[in-house]
Amino acid sequence: MVAAAAVSAVLLWVLAAGFGPIPPLGAALDAGSGAWTSAAGGRPATSQTLRVPGLQHPVSVSYTAQGIASIRAVTDHDVFLALGYVHASFRLGEMDEERRLGEGRLAQLAGPSDLPVDEFELRLGLLRTAQREWAETPRSSPAGQALLAYAQGVNDDIARVRADGDWPAAFSLARVYPAPWTPVESLVIQGVLTEELDFTTTPLVYAMLEKSLGLARTMAWFPVIPANTQSPYDPGPYQHPALTPLAPDAASTAPGPVGAGLSAEAAGPAPGTARSAPSAAVATAAGTLLAQISRLPSGLVHREPDSNAWAANGPAVAGNGAMLAGDPHLPQTLPSIWYEAALSAPGFDTSGVTVPGVPGVLIGHNAHIAWSLTDTQNQAALFYAEQTSASRPDQYYWRGAWRRTQKVHYTIDVRGGAPVPLTVYLTVHGPIMTQAGQTMAVDWMGNVPSADLGALLGVAEASNFGQFKAALASWHAPTQNFVYADARGHIGVISAGYYPQVAHGDPWLPLPGTGADDIDGVIPYSAEPQVYDPPGHVVATANQRPVGPSYPYYVGTSADFFDNSFRANEIYSYLRGRSGMTSASFAALQGSVTDNLAGVIVPKLLAALRQAPGPLTAPERAAMSLLARWNDAMTTGSAAASVWWTFWGDYISAAFQPWWTAAHVPVGKDPAALSLSSWPTSLTEDLTAWTSGKVPPSAAFTLPSGAHRSAPQVMRSAFGTAVAHLALQLGGAPGSWTWGRLHTRYFPSLTGASGLGYGPRASRGDAWTVDAAEGGLESSIGPSWRMIIRFPGSGGSPTAEGVYPGGQNENPASPWYANLITDWWDGRYLPMPGTAGAGPGTGTGTGAGAIHWTLRPGALPLAASRG
Amino acid sequence: MADLRRLGKKGSYRLGSLAGGRLGGAPSPRSPRRLGQLGRAPHGPTLGPPRAQVQFGWWLAVVVAGVVVIAVTAEFGLWFVPFLAGLVIGLAAPRAGWRLRHTVPAVLVMAAAGWGAPLLWQAVRGAPAGATARVVAALAGLPPHAMIGVVFTLLIAALQAGVGLWLGHAVIGGSRSR
Repeated sequence: MVAAAAVSAVLLWVLAAGFGPIPPLGAALDAGSGAWTSAAGGRPATSQTLRVPGLQHPVSVSYTAQGIASIRAVTDHDVFLALGYVHASFRLGEMDEERRLGEGRLAQLAGPSDLPVDEFELRLGLLRTAQREWAETPRSSPAGQALLAYAQGVNDDIARVRADGDWPAAFSLARVYPAPWTPVESLVIQGVLTEELDFTTTPLVYAMLEKSLGLARTMAWFPVIPANTQSPYDPGPYQHPALTPLAPDAASTAPGPVGAGLSAEAAGPAPGTARSAPSAAVATAAGTLLAQISRLPSGLVHREPDSNAWAANGPAVAGNGAMLAGDPHLPQTLPSIWYEAALSAPGFDTSGVTVPGVPGVLIGHNAHIAWSLTDTQNQAALFYAEQTSASRPDQYYWRGAWRRTQKVHYTIDVRGGAPVPLTVYLTVHGPIMTQAGQTMAVDWMGNVPSADLGALLGVAEASNFGQFKAALASWHAPTQNFVYADARGHIGVISAGYYPQVAHGDPWLPLPGTGADDIDGVIPYSAEPQVYDPPGHVVATANQRPVGPSYPYYVGTSADFFDNSFRANEIYSYLRGRSGMTSASFAALQGSVTDNLAGVIVPKLLAALRQAPGPLTAPERAAMSLLARWNDAMTTGSAAASVWWTFWGDYISAAFQPWWTAAHVPVGKDPAALSLSSWPTSLTEDLTAWTSGKVPPSAAFTLPSGAHRSAPQVMRSAFGTAVAHLALQLGGAPGSWTWGRLHTRYFPSLTGASGLGYGPRASRGDAWTVDAAEGGLESSIGPSWRMIIRFPGSGGSPTAEGVYPGGQNENPASPWYANLITDWWDGRYLPMPGTAGAGPGTGTGTGAGAIHWTLRPGALPLAASRG
Repeated sequence: MADLRRLGKKGSYRLGSLAGGRLGGAPSPRSPRRLGQLGRAPHGPTLGPPRAQVQFGWWLAVVVAGVVVIAVTAEFGLWFVPFLAGLVIGLAAPRAGWRLRHTVPAVLVMAAAGWGAPLLWQAVRGAPAGATARVVAALAGLPPHAMIGVVFTLLIAALQAGVGLWLGHAVIGGSRSR
């Protein structure tokens, strides 16, 4: 009996309370009330009337057969409230996960494995920044009203779900249910996006490289200005007005004014002010922090170039109108980061993609203008080595005096474990991210309160480029290239956001925190990269360096994830010289898988192989023949594509690995940034320039031992290695080494459950093609949305089409979970829901298969249901 | 001769009936005689209806009742009722003359059908139960197949019931040994 009683007790306890990360399965799997109730949310949506307490007037929501939503209201308040309600109806789990990520509350749901993420986010300060942004937002402002209405809509849906008990399965399984939504949480999600697009660790990487390779070699191979041919969209001439001032504590994230809190203590002996190479302590701090960050989930910090957007006008476009295409490259997940919707109210009328958790359309169009955006990739995070003293605990030296660090205390709830306390220390520069070896703080522009939503609301109401630019003046982070086209036939780009400048020191390295190297200001808005109606009638941004070498301000180095310009080169090559382009022309370009670098390098490789001493093996001859007949297209059926891609990786390794080994570059600290297998952008650019003859080959081809090598020699060696690699991995004849056998796309589920993702599936493209597939041979980063907007020259309504690889409903049991993937994969576009001024056939949800919700003000009925 | 207290009662002349309520067969060599009870005649006549049919009827009735209770209480989130059902069966089995070959299938069927009924009801009402089963399996870290999700869920119920039954048996066995 003792055994039976013990087993019974353990079983019931585990089923009731869970064990470690295992949720309480008893309640979770209860057939009548657990995760199974999520089936209700998986039912196909049907037309119905719903009571939404927060509404002021009735709202109409219509859905196409594919689930694309159109929301029409009589007030701005109601349109944003309805958007919150609809977002929560279909994406509540995603929204809750995103806000938990930014607020440092993942471990509360998932257990100790997520504790490092929570600690990092709480140190970085997305929550503190969001709280400050909300405090600085006037409640009566359009942004304040939108945030409040949106939060009410989300909460109205949460109340309905709570009444029905039809929680998404993730909540029921975990037995942790969402707390009410507040405007701060929308701003936290804004911060999460900012971090993913804008937070980089480049100074820490440079510190590691300089410590191992040395200063000269580091700056030669990771230069400020890239070595290869670039295609800036703003080639100049440039203005050089004075910087816009920025308060020294603008990014401190301190709850209160840092200056007011400083203790007026007697200045100690002034530390040396001469800048020097990173010390051992700085290198230790940099390596420790890099190692911590590298263990965080991929995508949390910015590492990949993202996105294409271009526009054309005048004779380049059929009818002499203007046309715009945008495809942001982001993690492709299920559910997607995007929710497609059209929003119409007397003061607001726009269509495009929204971000669940945030009110407003981020990429899209209204009746007069269209816009898309790409990440600028500039350096927005500077790291400061704070001067501290063992005799002065919790103090740092700045501008001639010792100051007290501010402290913020947190308690992190951990599922299956005891709460963990965390104290975050703040200096004038920002949060201290590590104290290993050296106290290191980060001064990140994403921590400067940014009125992004207000800017987007202004963009949504703009009807010309002047209004568009004016609206974006308040956009500080993440820095984005906003591409523009309008009904009058104009096009342009403005890179909105903060570009921090220092008066002293090299900002690509950790800087002394004593004050002399502080951020002096930011590039004035009028001098930021921008172009309007270029004479060539085309403008394109694909994350390439937006300006030329003569630009008078610092934007970042070649290691700041500026794209190597291969996509931009390909896009400009396609667009320039064409006339009368149509939407189909832009769609063909968005689907292009031509590898621009292959067009430059493969002829050099073939020449090197033909001239190489000694015979090629039979497989090498066959592989060479494939390359000779290749059209540079990375299609799934191309074996030459596999040979090319494998060769390039082996070429980088052959060129630089001897130096990496000799210098003991600490790749383990951050493999994504330091390992050659990640093909650092700077090295790809270097090798391109050296191989193509643009610049003399570097000493990199010479081995550390002094033995001389030439580019053809290294290419011959790398080619042999690549063929051997492919033979070992794929077997068979080279003709069978098709790209689809190596390269796939995979869209993981945000839940982490492998069975709820899509793929992996053999895919075309690579990291450098316009149809980009980034993140390795199993790619999960790429065009997360494709959009083409055309304004006919006759002044008629725009035609708008778009598609994203996912579905509008996060419930995997729903027919709207992944229904859009096939269209995206096959290169088809769907009509975007029209704006009020749009004509027929623009996907307003009124056609066959349309579903209508009528949202009415009023209390929830006793048995509310959306089924 | 049968237990005098059962004179005139249904089944009181059943062959081999014991005061302890066992369903036929020779007395267990370990079963103690209780004060006031007569020993069981090893081969007494059976004058009631066939034993197997009556017992199955009771068995079925108990199982159906259990299924209903488990299914209804599941709607209210009372996920532990399968355990209680197993416990009750385990405690009552000796008095009802049920043996393991009757109680084990009873509680397993009771639990599986008790939790299976709400799932079936969902499917009948048009909810995507199969797709949801696949989701449940995937979120639980299992292969993402609908049948696995269903089986895993029903196994949790069956496991509870089995352990409850074991505890019930153990309690009764422990009290009888004192």
